[in-house]
Amino acid sequence: MRLATRLAAAVLGSGIAFAQAGHDDVVRVDPALKRLAGMITAVGEPDAEGRIYTFRGTPIGPPASTPKAYPPGELRGWRLTFLAGQRFSAAFEVQSNTDSEITVSAAEGPLNGIAVRDVFVVEEIELKR
Amino acid sequence: MRRLGLVLAFVAGSAAAQGTRLPAEAVDAFHAALRNKDTAAALSLLDRGLVVYEFGGVDPTAEAYALTHLPFDMDLAVASQWKLETRRVGGEGNERWVLSTYRVTGKQADGTPIDQVTLETVILRRSGGLFRIVHFHWSTSDAGFQARSQGQRTQGAAPR
Repeated sequence: MRLATRLAAAVLGSGIAFAQAGHDDVVRVDPALKRLAGMITAVGEPDAEGRIYTFRGTPIGPPASTPKAYPPGELRGWRLTFLAGQRFSAAFEVQSNTDSEITVSAAEGPLNGIAVRDVFVVEEIELKR
Repeated sequence: MRRLGLVLAFVAGSAAAQGTRLPAEAVDAFHAALRNKDTAAALSLLDRGLVVYEFGGVDPTAEAYALTHLPFDMDLAVASQWKLETRRVGGEGNERWVLSTYRVTGKQADGTPIDQVTLETVILRRSGGLFRIVHFHWSTSDAGFQARSQGQRTQGAAPR
């Protein structure tokens, strides 16, 4: 398992993170949408007003199905939701991405409050406003 | 089922959900959020002290559940129909419980039918006037399914 994934499991207090536990492997259904989980590795620089819209991150998850980097440009329009940290449950729209950096749209406000090791998921679905 | 679906769609489905006034509404809103693929709305109904017991497995934190099992629960919610069969609500003050049974039907990816009764215990805590979920316990009346779930976990566990 990748270091980032192990670190995320430790941060989240889960010794069974990403193991197929319980019904997951007994009932097999198609994914409802494409998704990639990730962990923040660096918070972006704030703009002149102190607002942050960018961070660097790395994918986390089962090694067999998790890319080592994000597909550049392909996450545009995807929904990003924080699964841990101060911004738990806050959702944003991805405006652009490189292999390791994600920038969100300003429409939902800045990302201020995020921190290194916060965990998030990007999902291929439009953000409801 | 159709009436239940309409109710669930009414009480939840937007990312704005952040707890509910009534305990059972929080439970229904959570299921509706999963079915609507609304991760933020589902998470907003969870207390940060959440612990989940699911078919013999444990998610010790809200964050662990959000990362490891909520995605599958969403996939399952989208691929199946959950018909509420029984419900009891109890507790008092800021601590309440909601006991529900659901008939879950649908099809797996390979076409194999899903047809089982899921048993759900939910404990909720009220804070700031809104109820959020602090504990889920899901199991099933299907002894074979339960055994397979726990058997897989046992096979993957390190020896003591």
